[in-house]
Amino acid sequence: MVTIAPDITSKPGSANNSSDVLRLGRPFRYIVLTLVGLFFIVPIVSSARFSFLGNHNSFTISAYTQLFGTAQFWSTLFLSAKVGVGTVFLTLLLLIPTVVWVHVRLPKLRRVFEAASLLPLVVPSVVVTLGVITSFRGLPNIIYGTPVILSLEYVVLALPFSYRALDSAVQSIDLKTLVEAGQSLGSGWIKLLRYVLLPNLRGGIIGASILTFAFCLGEFAVASLLSFTTFPVFLVQVGQLAASQAVALSLLALLFTWIPLAVITIVFSQRRAKRSTPVLDDLEIS
Amino acid sequence: MTLNDELLDRSPSPAGDGTSVPEPAGRILRGRRRGWKNVAGTLPFIAYLGVFLAVPAVSVIATAFQDGKGNLTLSNFNEAIHGVYLKSFIASIQLSFVAALVAVVVGLLAALAVSSTSNKIVRSLVTAGSGVFANTGGVPLAFSFVATVGNFGIVTKLLQSAGFDLYSHGFSLYSVTGLAIVYQYFLIPLMILIMLPPIQALRKEWVDASESLGASRSQFWRWIGIPLLAPPIFAAFIVLFTDAFAAYATAQALTSGTIPLVPIQLGALISGNVLAGQTNLGDALGAGMILIVVIAGLIYATIQRRTSKWLR
Repeated sequence: MVTIAPDITSKPGSANNSSDVLRLGRPFRYIVLTLVGLFFIVPIVSSARFSFLGNHNSFTISAYTQLFGTAQFWSTLFLSAKVGVGTVFLTLLLLIPTVVWVHVRLPKLRRVFEAASLLPLVVPSVVVTLGVITSFRGLPNIIYGTPVILSLEYVVLALPFSYRALDSAVQSIDLKTLVEAGQSLGSGWIKLLRYVLLPNLRGGIIGASILTFAFCLGEFAVASLLSFTTFPVFLVQVGQLAASQAVALSLLALLFTWIPLAVITIVFSQRRAKRSTPVLDDLEIS
Repeated sequence: MTLNDELLDRSPSPAGDGTSVPEPAGRILRGRRRGWKNVAGTLPFIAYLGVFLAVPAVSVIATAFQDGKGNLTLSNFNEAIHGVYLKSFIASIQLSFVAALVAVVVGLLAALAVSSTSNKIVRSLVTAGSGVFANTGGVPLAFSFVATVGNFGIVTKLLQSAGFDLYSHGFSLYSVTGLAIVYQYFLIPLMILIMLPPIQALRKEWVDASESLGASRSQFWRWIGIPLLAPPIFAAFIVLFTDAFAAYATAQALTSGTIPLVPIQLGALISGNVLAGQTNLGDALGAGMILIVVIAGLIYATIQRRTSKWLR
Protein backbone atom coordinates (compact mmCIF):
# COMPACT_ATOMS: atom_id res chain seq x y z
CA MET A 1 0.00 0.00 0.00
CA VAL A 2 2.59 2.54 1.07
CA THR A 3 6.28 2.39 0.38
CA ILE A 4 7.84 3.36 3.64
CA ALA A 5 11.52 3.40 2.88
CA PRO A 6 12.40 5.14 -0.37
CA ASP A 7 16.09 4.23 -0.15
CA ILE A 8 17.11 6.41 -3.05
CA THR A 9 16.30 9.62 -1.27
CA SER A 10 17.88 8.77 2.03
CA LYS A 11 21.26 10.01 3.14
CA PRO A 12 22.80 7.34 5.35
CA GLY A 13 24.22 8.36 8.68
CA SER A 14 22.58 11.75 8.88
CA ALA A 15 19.90 11.22 11.50
CA ASN A 16 19.12 9.57 14.83
CA ASN A 17 16.40 7.83 16.93
CA SER A 18 13.31 6.73 15.02
CA SER A 19 14.56 8.84 12.14
CA ASP A 20 17.38 6.33 11.87
CA VAL A 21 14.93 3.46 11.54
CA LEU A 22 12.87 5.22 8.92
CA ARG A 23 15.66 6.86 6.89
CA LEU A 24 13.33 9.12 4.97
CA GLY A 25 15.02 11.76 2.89
CA ARG A 26 14.69 15.46 3.43
CA PRO A 27 12.73 16.09 0.19
CA PHE A 28 10.13 13.51 1.17
CA ARG A 29 9.70 15.05 4.61
CA TYR A 30 9.47 18.58 3.34
CA ILE A 31 7.01 17.76 0.58
CA VAL A 32 4.69 15.74 2.83
CA LEU A 33 4.72 18.15 5.75
CA THR A 34 4.31 21.22 3.53
CA LEU A 35 1.36 19.77 1.63
CA VAL A 36 -0.40 18.55 4.78
CA GLY A 37 0.37 21.85 6.52
CA LEU A 38 -1.13 23.79 3.61
CA PHE A 39 -4.31 21.72 3.77
CA PHE A 40 -4.78 22.85 7.36
CA ILE A 41 -3.75 26.48 6.96
CA VAL A 42 -5.48 27.41 3.68
CA PRO A 43 -9.07 27.05 5.01
CA ILE A 44 -8.23 29.27 7.99
CA VAL A 45 -6.61 31.95 5.85
CA SER A 46 -9.45 31.74 3.34
CA SER A 47 -12.02 32.08 6.12
CA ALA A 48 -10.30 35.16 7.43
CA ARG A 49 -10.12 36.67 3.93
CA PHE A 50 -13.74 35.72 3.19
CA SER A 51 -15.05 37.24 6.40
CA PHE A 52 -13.47 40.63 5.60
CA LEU A 53 -14.68 40.63 2.01
CA GLY A 54 -17.01 43.48 1.08
CA ASN A 55 -18.61 44.41 -2.21
CA HIS A 56 -16.21 44.56 -5.16
CA ASN A 57 -13.38 42.95 -3.18
CA SER A 58 -13.24 45.79 -0.69
CA PHE A 59 -12.15 45.28 2.90
CA THR A 60 -14.86 45.48 5.54
CA ILE A 61 -15.46 44.41 9.09
CA SER A 62 -19.22 44.68 8.73
CA ALA A 63 -19.70 40.92 9.09
CA TYR A 64 -18.28 41.16 12.60
CA THR A 65 -20.00 44.36 13.63
CA GLN A 66 -23.37 43.06 12.44
CA LEU A 67 -22.86 39.83 14.36
CA PHE A 68 -21.94 41.54 17.59
CA GLY A 69 -24.98 43.73 17.19
CA THR A 70 -27.31 40.74 16.94
CA ALA A 71 -29.09 39.95 20.17
CA GLN A 72 -29.34 36.29 19.25
CA PHE A 73 -25.57 36.02 18.94
CA TRP A 74 -25.18 36.89 22.60
CA SER A 75 -28.19 34.93 23.83
CA THR A 76 -27.19 31.70 22.07
CA LEU A 77 -23.59 32.08 23.17
CA PHE A 78 -24.81 32.60 26.71
CA LEU A 79 -27.06 29.53 26.49
CA SER A 80 -24.19 27.37 25.23
CA ALA A 81 -21.91 28.71 27.95
CA LYS A 82 -24.55 27.96 30.58
CA VAL A 83 -24.99 24.41 29.30
CA GLY A 84 -21.20 24.09 29.21
CA VAL A 85 -20.73 25.22 32.80
CA GLY A 86 -23.49 22.90 33.99
CA THR A 87 -21.95 20.00 32.09
CA VAL A 88 -18.46 20.66 33.46
CA PHE A 89 -19.84 20.85 37.00
CA LEU A 90 -21.78 17.59 36.64
CA THR A 91 -18.83 15.88 34.96
CA LEU A 92 -16.41 16.75 37.77
CA LEU A 93 -18.96 15.82 40.42
CA LEU A 94 -19.47 12.42 38.83
CA LEU A 95 -15.98 11.61 37.61
CA ILE A 96 -13.53 12.77 40.30
CA PRO A 97 -14.92 10.42 42.98
CA THR A 98 -15.31 7.62 40.43
CA VAL A 99 -11.79 7.84 39.03
CA VAL A 100 -10.23 8.15 42.48
CA TRP A 101 -12.31 5.23 43.78
CA VAL A 102 -11.35 3.03 40.85
CA HIS A 103 -7.65 3.74 41.37
CA VAL A 104 -7.74 3.15 45.11
CA ARG A 105 -10.21 0.31 45.49
CA LEU A 106 -10.50 -1.37 42.11
CA PRO A 107 -7.12 -0.87 40.41
CA LYS A 108 -7.54 -4.12 38.52
CA LEU A 109 -10.69 -2.81 36.87
CA ARG A 110 -9.03 0.42 35.73
CA ARG A 111 -8.97 -0.67 32.12
CA VAL A 112 -12.58 -1.83 32.31
CA PHE A 113 -13.73 1.60 33.43
CA GLU A 114 -11.56 3.28 30.84
CA ALA A 115 -13.25 1.11 28.22
CA ALA A 116 -16.67 1.96 29.67
CA SER A 117 -15.86 5.64 29.25
CA LEU A 118 -15.46 4.98 25.52
CA LEU A 119 -18.94 3.44 25.23
CA PRO A 120 -20.56 6.71 24.09
CA LEU A 121 -18.54 6.37 20.90
CA VAL A 122 -20.55 3.25 20.09
CA VAL A 123 -23.84 5.13 19.96
CA PRO A 124 -23.74 8.01 17.44
CA SER A 125 -25.13 11.22 18.95
CA VAL A 126 -28.01 11.27 16.44
CA VAL A 127 -29.09 7.88 17.76
CA VAL A 128 -28.72 9.03 21.38
CA THR A 129 -31.02 11.94 20.57
CA LEU A 130 -33.64 9.63 19.13
CA GLY A 131 -33.38 7.46 22.23
CA VAL A 132 -33.72 10.49 24.49
CA ILE A 133 -36.89 11.50 22.68
CA THR A 134 -38.46 8.05 22.86
CA SER A 135 -37.49 7.23 26.43
CA PHE A 136 -37.55 10.59 28.28
CA ARG A 137 -40.62 12.17 26.70
CA GLY A 138 -42.60 11.32 29.80
CA LEU A 139 -40.25 13.05 32.23
CA PRO A 140 -41.25 16.32 33.93
CA ASN A 141 -40.92 19.33 31.68
CA ILE A 142 -38.23 20.91 33.83
CA ILE A 143 -35.81 18.19 32.69
CA TYR A 144 -36.91 17.22 29.21
CA GLY A 145 -38.24 20.59 28.06
CA THR A 146 -35.28 22.72 29.15
CA PRO A 147 -31.59 22.76 28.22
CA VAL A 148 -30.98 20.75 31.41
CA ILE A 149 -31.40 17.64 29.27
CA LEU A 150 -28.53 18.89 27.09
CA SER A 151 -26.18 19.11 30.06
CA LEU A 152 -27.27 15.69 31.29
CA GLU A 153 -26.54 14.10 27.91
CA TYR A 154 -23.34 16.08 27.22
CA VAL A 155 -21.81 14.60 30.38
CA VAL A 156 -22.15 11.22 28.68
CA LEU A 157 -21.14 12.31 25.19
CA ALA A 158 -17.99 14.12 26.41
CA LEU A 159 -17.02 11.17 28.60
CA PRO A 160 -14.40 9.75 26.20
CA PHE A 161 -12.43 13.00 26.56
CA SER A 162 -13.12 13.95 30.16
CA TYR A 163 -12.61 10.51 31.70
CA ARG A 164 -9.31 10.01 29.94
CA ALA A 165 -7.98 13.39 31.05
CA LEU A 166 -8.82 12.71 34.70
CA ASP A 167 -7.71 9.10 34.56
CA SER A 168 -4.26 10.00 33.24
CA ALA A 169 -3.93 12.73 35.87
CA VAL A 170 -4.71 10.27 38.66
CA GLN A 171 -2.40 7.73 37.08
CA SER A 172 0.48 10.20 37.12
CA ILE A 173 0.40 10.71 40.90
CA ASP A 174 1.01 8.06 43.51
CA LEU A 175 -2.58 8.11 44.64
CA LYS A 176 -2.52 5.07 46.89
CA THR A 177 0.38 6.33 48.98
CA LEU A 178 -1.16 9.80 49.25
CA VAL A 179 -4.49 8.36 50.37
CA GLU A 180 -2.87 6.00 52.87
CA ALA A 181 -0.67 8.77 54.22
CA GLY A 182 -3.69 11.04 54.62
CA GLN A 183 -5.73 8.33 56.30
CA SER A 184 -2.95 7.43 58.70
CA LEU A 185 -2.87 11.08 59.74
CA GLY A 186 -6.56 10.78 60.51
CA SER A 187 -8.28 12.63 57.68
CA GLY A 188 -11.57 11.47 56.24
CA TRP A 189 -12.50 11.35 52.57
CA ILE A 190 -13.76 14.94 52.45
CA LYS A 191 -10.53 16.32 53.91
CA LEU A 192 -8.50 14.06 51.65
CA LEU A 193 -10.35 15.34 48.63
CA ARG A 194 -10.05 18.96 49.64
CA TYR A 195 -6.43 19.09 50.79
CA VAL A 196 -4.71 16.22 49.01
CA LEU A 197 -6.50 15.10 45.87
CA LEU A 198 -7.85 18.30 44.33
CA PRO A 199 -4.54 20.21 44.53
CA ASN A 200 -2.65 17.24 43.10
CA LEU A 201 -5.14 16.67 40.31
CA ARG A 202 -5.48 20.33 39.33
CA GLY A 203 -3.96 19.82 35.88
CA GLY A 204 -6.22 16.93 35.02
CA ILE A 205 -9.30 18.72 36.32
CA ILE A 206 -8.56 21.80 34.25
CA GLY A 207 -7.86 19.63 31.20
CA ALA A 208 -11.09 17.70 31.58
CA SER A 209 -13.03 20.92 32.13
CA ILE A 210 -11.66 22.60 29.02
CA LEU A 211 -12.28 19.54 26.83
CA THR A 212 -15.82 19.20 28.14
CA PHE A 213 -16.60 22.91 27.79
CA ALA A 214 -15.21 23.00 24.25
CA PHE A 215 -17.36 19.98 23.40
CA CYS A 216 -20.48 21.72 24.72
CA LEU A 217 -19.79 24.92 22.79
CA GLY A 218 -19.48 22.98 19.54
CA GLU A 219 -22.14 20.29 19.89
CA PHE A 220 -24.77 20.55 17.17
CA ALA A 221 -26.60 17.25 16.61
CA VAL A 222 -28.35 16.79 19.95
CA ALA A 223 -29.13 20.49 20.44
CA SER A 224 -30.59 21.03 16.98
CA LEU A 225 -32.63 17.82 16.97
CA LEU A 226 -34.07 18.61 20.40
CA SER A 227 -34.87 22.13 19.07
CA PHE A 228 -32.65 24.18 21.35
CA THR A 229 -31.05 27.17 19.67
CA THR A 230 -27.55 26.88 21.04
CA PHE A 231 -24.58 28.66 19.52
CA PRO A 232 -23.84 26.11 16.74
CA VAL A 233 -27.55 25.92 15.85
CA PHE A 234 -27.61 29.72 15.55
CA LEU A 235 -24.49 29.47 13.38
CA VAL A 236 -26.29 27.21 10.90
CA GLN A 237 -29.26 29.59 10.81
CA VAL A 238 -26.91 32.49 10.06
CA GLY A 239 -25.27 30.41 7.35
CA GLN A 240 -28.55 30.13 5.46
CA LEU A 241 -28.89 33.93 5.36
CA ALA A 242 -25.48 35.58 5.40
CA ALA A 243 -22.46 33.55 4.32
CA SER A 244 -19.80 36.06 5.35
CA GLN A 245 -21.25 36.40 8.83
CA ALA A 246 -21.37 32.62 9.22
CA VAL A 247 -17.76 32.34 8.13
CA ALA A 248 -16.70 35.10 10.51
CA LEU A 249 -18.55 33.38 13.32
CA SER A 250 -16.98 30.01 12.44
CA LEU A 251 -13.53 31.50 12.46
CA LEU A 252 -14.12 32.96 15.92
CA ALA A 253 -15.55 29.66 17.15
CA LEU A 254 -12.58 27.71 15.81
CA LEU A 255 -10.02 30.07 17.32
CA PHE A 256 -11.76 30.09 20.66
CA THR A 257 -11.74 26.29 20.85
CA TRP A 258 -8.25 25.89 19.42
CA ILE A 259 -6.41 28.15 21.81
CA PRO A 260 -7.38 26.36 25.06
CA LEU A 261 -7.05 22.98 23.34
CA ALA A 262 -3.54 23.88 22.20
CA VAL A 263 -2.61 24.91 25.71
CA ILE A 264 -3.74 21.66 27.30
CA THR A 265 -2.22 19.55 24.49
CA ILE A 266 1.17 21.17 25.09
CA VAL A 267 0.90 20.90 28.87
CA PHE A 268 -0.16 17.25 28.70
CA SER A 269 2.53 16.23 26.22
CA GLN A 270 5.19 17.87 28.38
CA ARG A 271 3.96 16.02 31.42
CA ARG A 272 4.00 12.74 29.52
CA ALA A 273 7.52 13.41 28.27
CA LYS A 274 8.64 14.12 31.82
CA ARG A 275 7.09 10.89 33.07
CA SER A 276 8.24 8.58 30.33
CA THR A 277 11.99 9.14 30.64
CA PRO A 278 13.16 6.76 33.37
CA VAL A 279 11.49 3.38 33.21
CA LEU A 280 12.62 2.63 36.74
CA ASP A 281 10.45 5.42 38.11
CA ASP A 282 7.47 3.12 37.94
CA LEU A 283 9.02 0.55 40.22
CA GLU A 284 10.59 2.95 42.67
CA ILE A 285 7.40 3.34 44.68
CA SER A 286 7.42 -0.18 46.03
CA MET B 1 2.18 -1.69 48.83
CA THR B 2 4.07 -4.62 47.42
CA LEU B 3 5.74 -4.98 44.09
CA ASN B 4 3.13 -7.56 43.12
CA ASP B 5 0.35 -5.07 43.61
CA GLU B 6 2.14 -2.61 41.44
CA LEU B 7 2.67 -5.10 38.62
CA LEU B 8 -0.88 -6.39 38.74
CA ASP B 9 -2.27 -2.89 38.61
CA ARG B 10 -0.68 -2.30 35.24
CA SER B 11 -2.24 -5.31 33.63
CA PRO B 12 -0.43 -5.37 30.25
CA SER B 13 2.98 -5.38 31.86
CA PRO B 14 5.65 -3.26 30.18
CA ALA B 15 7.87 -6.29 30.08
CA GLY B 16 5.39 -7.72 27.63
CA ASP B 17 6.31 -11.32 28.31
CA GLY B 18 2.81 -12.13 29.49
CA THR B 19 3.89 -13.68 32.76
CA SER B 20 1.56 -12.58 35.51
CA VAL B 21 2.27 -13.18 39.14
CA PRO B 22 -0.12 -15.81 40.53
CA GLU B 23 -2.30 -14.51 43.33
CA PRO B 24 -2.31 -16.25 46.67
CA ALA B 25 -5.63 -18.01 47.22
CA GLY B 26 -6.31 -16.23 50.50
CA ARG B 27 -6.22 -12.85 48.87
CA ILE B 28 -8.68 -13.85 46.19
CA LEU B 29 -11.18 -15.02 48.81
CA ARG B 30 -10.80 -11.88 50.85
CA GLY B 31 -11.18 -9.92 47.64
CA ARG B 32 -14.48 -11.65 46.81
CA ARG B 33 -15.98 -10.85 50.18
CA ARG B 34 -14.90 -7.22 49.89
CA GLY B 35 -15.98 -7.12 46.28
CA TRP B 36 -19.41 -5.57 46.65
CA LYS B 37 -18.25 -2.90 49.03
CA ASN B 38 -15.51 -1.97 46.59
CA VAL B 39 -17.92 -1.61 43.69
CA ALA B 40 -20.29 0.61 45.71
CA GLY B 41 -18.34 3.80 45.10
CA THR B 42 -18.64 3.42 41.36
CA LEU B 43 -22.39 2.91 41.37
CA PRO B 44 -23.26 6.58 40.68
CA PHE B 45 -21.10 6.47 37.55
CA ILE B 46 -22.56 3.16 36.40
CA ALA B 47 -26.10 4.34 37.13
CA TYR B 48 -25.51 7.59 35.22
CA LEU B 49 -24.23 5.73 32.17
CA GLY B 50 -27.17 3.38 32.50
CA VAL B 51 -29.80 6.10 32.57
CA PHE B 52 -28.37 8.53 30.02
CA LEU B 53 -26.68 6.15 27.59
CA ALA B 54 -27.99 2.60 27.99
CA VAL B 55 -31.67 3.52 28.36
CA PRO B 56 -31.77 5.67 25.18
CA ALA B 57 -29.74 3.12 23.21
CA VAL B 58 -31.80 0.15 24.34
CA SER B 59 -35.06 2.00 23.76
CA VAL B 60 -34.02 2.70 20.16
CA ILE B 61 -33.18 -0.95 19.58
CA ALA B 62 -36.36 -2.16 21.29
CA THR B 63 -38.59 0.29 19.43
CA ALA B 64 -36.99 -0.75 16.16
CA PHE B 65 -38.66 -4.15 16.55
CA GLN B 66 -42.13 -2.71 17.21
CA ASP B 67 -44.83 -1.26 15.03
CA GLY B 68 -46.84 1.83 15.90
CA LYS B 69 -49.06 -0.17 18.26
CA GLY B 70 -46.23 -1.89 20.09
CA ASN B 71 -46.49 -5.28 18.37
CA LEU B 72 -43.33 -7.14 17.47
CA THR B 73 -42.39 -6.74 13.82
CA LEU B 74 -39.45 -6.70 11.46
CA SER B 75 -41.11 -4.35 8.98
CA ASN B 76 -39.08 -1.34 10.18
CA PHE B 77 -35.91 -3.11 9.20
CA ASN B 78 -37.46 -4.21 5.95
CA GLU B 79 -38.07 -0.56 5.18
CA ALA B 80 -34.63 0.49 6.45
CA ILE B 81 -32.82 -1.78 4.02
CA HIS B 82 -34.78 -0.80 0.93
CA GLY B 83 -35.01 2.17 -1.37
CA VAL B 84 -33.60 5.49 -0.27
CA TYR B 85 -32.59 4.15 3.15
CA LEU B 86 -30.55 1.33 1.67
CA LYS B 87 -28.92 3.91 -0.57
CA SER B 88 -28.10 6.09 2.42
CA PHE B 89 -26.48 3.16 4.24
CA ILE B 90 -24.39 2.42 1.14
CA ALA B 91 -23.49 6.11 0.70
CA SER B 92 -22.55 6.47 4.37
CA ILE B 93 -20.37 3.38 4.33
CA GLN B 94 -18.72 4.41 1.06
CA LEU B 95 -18.06 7.94 2.33
CA SER B 96 -16.61 6.73 5.64
CA PHE B 97 -14.53 4.04 3.93
CA VAL B 98 -13.00 6.36 1.34
CA ALA B 99 -12.51 9.24 3.80
CA ALA B 100 -10.85 6.90 6.31
CA LEU B 101 -8.66 5.30 3.65
CA VAL B 102 -7.37 8.64 2.35
CA ALA B 103 -6.74 9.86 5.90
CA VAL B 104 -4.91 6.62 6.75
CA VAL B 105 -2.53 7.03 3.80
CA VAL B 106 -1.94 10.78 4.20
CA GLY B 107 -1.80 10.63 8.00
CA LEU B 108 0.63 7.72 7.89
CA LEU B 109 2.93 9.55 5.49
CA ALA B 110 2.78 12.63 7.70
CA ALA B 111 3.44 10.60 10.85
CA LEU B 112 6.42 8.95 9.15
CA ALA B 113 7.73 12.31 7.98
CA VAL B 114 7.39 13.79 11.46
CA SER B 115 9.03 10.79 13.11
CA SER B 116 11.97 10.96 10.77
CA THR B 117 12.76 14.58 11.45
CA SER B 118 15.08 15.38 14.32
CA ASN B 119 13.75 18.94 14.45
CA LYS B 120 12.08 19.21 17.85
CA ILE B 121 10.02 22.27 16.94
CA VAL B 122 8.44 20.53 13.95
CA ARG B 123 7.68 17.51 16.11
CA SER B 124 5.94 19.37 18.91
CA LEU B 125 4.17 21.66 16.45
CA VAL B 126 2.68 18.68 14.60
CA THR B 127 1.77 16.85 17.81
CA ALA B 128 0.06 19.88 19.34
CA GLY B 129 -1.59 20.76 16.04
CA SER B 130 -2.91 17.23 15.62
CA GLY B 131 -4.33 17.23 19.13
CA VAL B 132 -6.18 20.43 18.39
CA PHE B 133 -7.40 19.70 14.85
CA ALA B 134 -8.53 16.16 15.69
CA ASN B 135 -11.10 17.75 18.00
CA THR B 136 -12.28 20.16 15.32
CA GLY B 137 -15.40 19.39 13.46
CA GLY B 138 -18.98 20.30 13.42
CA VAL B 139 -20.50 23.41 11.97
CA PRO B 140 -17.55 25.86 11.97
CA LEU B 141 -15.48 23.42 9.94
CA ALA B 142 -18.17 23.24 7.27
CA PHE B 143 -18.30 27.03 6.89
CA SER B 144 -14.55 27.46 6.75
CA PHE B 145 -14.52 25.08 3.79
CA VAL B 146 -17.40 26.98 2.20
CA ALA B 147 -15.17 30.05 2.44
CA THR B 148 -12.35 28.11 0.81
CA VAL B 149 -13.70 25.89 -1.96
CA GLY B 150 -17.42 26.66 -1.85
CA ASN B 151 -19.24 28.19 -4.83
CA PHE B 152 -17.77 31.60 -4.04
CA GLY B 153 -14.82 30.42 -1.97
CA ILE B 154 -11.48 32.19 -2.00
CA VAL B 155 -9.59 29.27 -3.57
CA THR B 156 -12.40 28.64 -6.07
CA LYS B 157 -12.18 32.25 -7.23
CA LEU B 158 -8.38 32.20 -7.34
CA LEU B 159 -8.47 29.12 -9.54
CA GLN B 160 -11.14 30.73 -11.71
CA SER B 161 -9.01 33.80 -12.30
CA ALA B 162 -6.17 31.43 -13.15
CA GLY B 163 -8.44 29.90 -15.78
CA PHE B 164 -9.57 26.76 -13.98
CA ASP B 165 -13.16 26.40 -12.90
CA LEU B 166 -13.48 23.73 -10.20
CA TYR B 167 -17.23 23.52 -10.43
CA SER B 168 -17.34 23.05 -14.20
CA HIS B 169 -14.96 20.13 -13.78
CA GLY B 170 -17.43 18.11 -11.76
CA PHE B 171 -16.23 19.15 -8.31
CA SER B 172 -18.72 20.20 -5.70
CA LEU B 173 -18.11 20.84 -2.02
CA TYR B 174 -21.75 20.04 -1.34
CA SER B 175 -21.42 16.40 -2.35
CA VAL B 176 -20.14 13.13 -0.90
CA THR B 177 -16.72 13.87 -2.44
CA GLY B 178 -16.73 17.33 -0.86
CA LEU B 179 -17.60 15.83 2.53
CA ALA B 180 -14.81 13.27 2.20
CA ILE B 181 -12.38 16.16 1.70
CA VAL B 182 -13.76 18.20 4.61
CA TYR B 183 -13.61 15.17 6.92
CA GLN B 184 -9.86 14.94 6.26
CA TYR B 185 -9.51 18.02 8.45
CA PHE B 186 -10.17 16.01 11.60
CA LEU B 187 -9.35 12.50 10.32
CA ILE B 188 -5.73 13.15 9.27
CA PRO B 189 -4.74 14.64 12.67
CA LEU B 190 -6.43 11.70 14.40
CA MET B 191 -4.41 9.28 12.24
CA ILE B 192 -1.18 11.13 13.09
CA LEU B 193 -2.00 10.99 16.81
CA ILE B 194 -2.73 7.27 16.66
CA MET B 195 0.32 6.34 14.57
CA LEU B 196 3.08 8.39 16.23
CA PRO B 197 3.51 6.07 19.27
CA PRO B 198 3.84 2.80 17.28
CA ILE B 199 6.18 4.40 14.72
CA GLN B 200 8.38 5.86 17.42
CA ALA B 201 8.41 2.51 19.20
CA LEU B 202 10.38 1.00 16.30
CA ARG B 203 13.84 0.43 17.71
CA LYS B 204 17.15 1.17 16.06
CA GLU B 205 18.41 -2.04 17.70
CA TRP B 206 15.98 -4.08 15.63
CA VAL B 207 17.45 -2.66 12.44
CA ASP B 208 20.95 -3.32 13.69
CA ALA B 209 20.06 -6.85 14.75
CA SER B 210 18.49 -7.63 11.39
CA GLU B 211 21.47 -6.12 9.60
CA SER B 212 23.96 -8.15 11.59
CA LEU B 213 21.99 -11.22 10.55
CA GLY B 214 22.49 -10.17 6.96
CA ALA B 215 19.09 -8.66 6.18
CA SER B 216 18.73 -5.78 3.79
CA ARG B 217 16.65 -2.67 4.45
CA SER B 218 13.74 -3.92 2.41
CA GLN B 219 13.93 -7.27 4.16
CA PHE B 220 13.77 -5.47 7.49
CA TRP B 221 10.57 -3.73 6.43
CA ARG B 222 9.13 -6.86 4.81
CA TRP B 223 9.58 -9.10 7.87
CA ILE B 224 9.71 -6.72 10.84
CA GLY B 225 8.66 -3.15 10.19
CA ILE B 226 5.46 -3.64 8.22
CA PRO B 227 4.18 -6.62 10.27
CA LEU B 228 4.62 -4.48 13.40
CA LEU B 229 2.90 -1.42 11.97
CA ALA B 230 0.08 -3.21 10.14
CA PRO B 231 -2.15 -3.89 13.20
CA PRO B 232 -2.09 -0.27 14.46
CA ILE B 233 -2.78 0.93 10.91
CA PHE B 234 -5.84 -1.32 10.61
CA ALA B 235 -7.02 -0.32 14.08
CA ALA B 236 -6.61 3.34 13.17
CA PHE B 237 -8.59 2.79 9.98
CA ILE B 238 -11.50 1.47 12.02
CA VAL B 239 -11.40 4.39 14.44
CA LEU B 240 -11.43 6.84 11.53
CA PHE B 241 -14.21 4.93 9.78
CA THR B 242 -16.41 5.09 12.87
CA ASP B 243 -15.66 8.76 13.39
CA ALA B 244 -16.67 9.59 9.82
CA PHE B 245 -19.69 7.28 9.93
CA ALA B 246 -21.24 8.94 12.98
CA ALA B 247 -20.48 12.55 11.94
CA TYR B 248 -23.65 14.59 11.55
CA ALA B 249 -23.04 18.30 12.13
CA THR B 250 -20.59 18.95 9.29
CA ALA B 251 -22.71 17.12 6.72
CA GLN B 252 -25.93 18.78 7.86
CA ALA B 253 -24.43 22.29 7.86
CA LEU B 254 -22.73 21.82 4.50
CA THR B 255 -25.56 20.22 2.55
CA SER B 256 -28.64 21.40 4.50
CA GLY B 257 -29.69 17.78 4.73
CA THR B 258 -29.96 17.20 0.99
CA ILE B 259 -27.36 14.45 0.90
CA PRO B 260 -28.56 10.89 1.55
CA LEU B 261 -26.46 9.71 4.50
CA VAL B 262 -27.82 7.63 7.38
CA PRO B 263 -27.29 10.24 10.14
CA ILE B 264 -28.89 12.90 7.92
CA GLN B 265 -31.90 10.70 7.09
CA LEU B 266 -32.29 9.84 10.75
CA GLY B 267 -32.06 13.53 11.66
CA ALA B 268 -34.78 14.33 9.13
CA LEU B 269 -37.02 11.62 10.61
CA ILE B 270 -36.45 13.03 14.11
CA SER B 271 -37.18 16.59 12.99
CA GLY B 272 -40.60 15.43 11.98
CA ASN B 273 -40.39 14.73 8.28
CA VAL B 274 -42.11 11.41 8.89
CA LEU B 275 -44.42 9.81 6.38
CA ALA B 276 -47.42 7.84 7.57
CA GLY B 277 -46.60 4.28 8.51
CA GLN B 278 -42.97 5.07 9.25
CA THR B 279 -43.32 5.72 12.97
CA ASN B 280 -40.48 3.53 14.11
CA LEU B 281 -38.38 3.58 10.97
CA GLY B 282 -35.92 5.99 12.60
CA ASP B 283 -35.29 3.50 15.37
CA ALA B 284 -34.46 0.83 12.81
CA LEU B 285 -31.95 3.21 11.16
CA GLY B 286 -30.50 3.97 14.59
CA ALA B 287 -30.23 0.28 15.44
CA GLY B 288 -28.50 -0.26 12.09
CA MET B 289 -25.97 2.47 12.90
CA ILE B 290 -25.27 0.97 16.32
CA LEU B 291 -24.80 -2.45 14.69
CA ILE B 292 -22.23 -1.13 12.22
CA VAL B 293 -20.29 0.72 14.92
CA VAL B 294 -20.35 -2.34 17.19
CA ILE B 295 -18.98 -4.56 14.42
CA ALA B 296 -16.21 -2.02 13.82
CA GLY B 297 -15.52 -1.91 17.56
CA LEU B 298 -15.22 -5.69 17.80
CA ILE B 299 -12.70 -5.76 14.95
CA TYR B 300 -10.83 -2.93 16.66
CA ALA B 301 -10.70 -4.76 19.99
CA THR B 302 -9.38 -7.91 18.32
CA ILE B 303 -6.59 -6.00 16.61
CA GLN B 304 -5.78 -4.00 19.73
CA ARG B 305 -5.27 -7.16 21.74
CA ARG B 306 -2.58 -8.21 19.30
CA THR B 307 -0.92 -4.79 19.18
CA SER B 308 -0.73 -4.07 22.89
CA LYS B 309 1.54 -7.07 23.35
CA TRP B 310 4.55 -5.20 22.03
CA LEU B 311 3.59 -1.54 22.08
CA ARG B 312 4.21 -0.09 25.53
